[in-house]
Amino acid sequence: MKNDNPLSPHIQIYNWHISSLVSISHRITGIINFASLTLICFWVSYLVLGKDNYELIFIFLNSFIGKFLILAIVWSFSFQILSEIRHLFWDYGIGFELKTANITGSLVIVGSFILTLLIYILGKNFLI
Amino acid sequence: MITATKKWIFLKLSAVIMLPLMIWFVFQLVSIYNMGFEDINSFFVKQPNKFLFSLFVIITYFYSALSISEVFEDYIVNEKLKNVANKILYLFAIIMPIFTIFILYKLSL
Repeated sequence: MKNDNPLSPHIQIYNWHISSLVSISHRITGIINFASLTLICFWVSYLVLGKDNYELIFIFLNSFIGKFLILAIVWSFSFQILSEIRHLFWDYGIGFELKTANITGSLVIVGSFILTLLIYILGKNFLI
Repeated sequence: MITATKKWIFLKLSAVIMLPLMIWFVFQLVSIYNMGFEDINSFFVKQPNKFLFSLFVIITYFYSALSISEVFEDYIVNEKLKNVANKILYLFAIIMPIFTIFILYKLSL
């Protein structure tokens, strides 16, 4: 069957504003999360090879790049959490007004960085 | 009910289940990622961590696959290419959780 659904217009046609920035970032972080989850699954799977083989992963995760990667993953998950909460409110018909959408969009962007810091500080100091 | 509606309902249901699991997991991730082999191994074999992580992997792959297929729907013009991309995506989203959970249970033995 021929699909006549219109495709999304090219993003460069639009003037950038908060809602479009959050929308495209939601999609990009969705793809990043898919890749991150795959990395996490491989990380867990690597444990089956035993302690000696884990040494390389241990060194990498304790390096600057390793820590940066974890922070980036946490930010991507944080963005997705806040953005999805915004979407769930929209599904109930809440927050569609332009002003509200701009405020919640800004909250998602700024909040994702704050949430990342909060998760990192709390996770590092208060868990396990 | 049309397929797109079913897809939307599954996407929303999985999002509601995924959000608390994702919050739980990111907290755990930052607290364990730089630990040694024994600590990380014991984290993943211990309950409820093993159950929650398994559920997190299943739900997040399911949710992500549905989200990414929406991106394919919006940006891939060629129907054949879109179908192939979707099939590869769904296959990967099924195999990876099964593989990871199998490994998790192997770690516990």
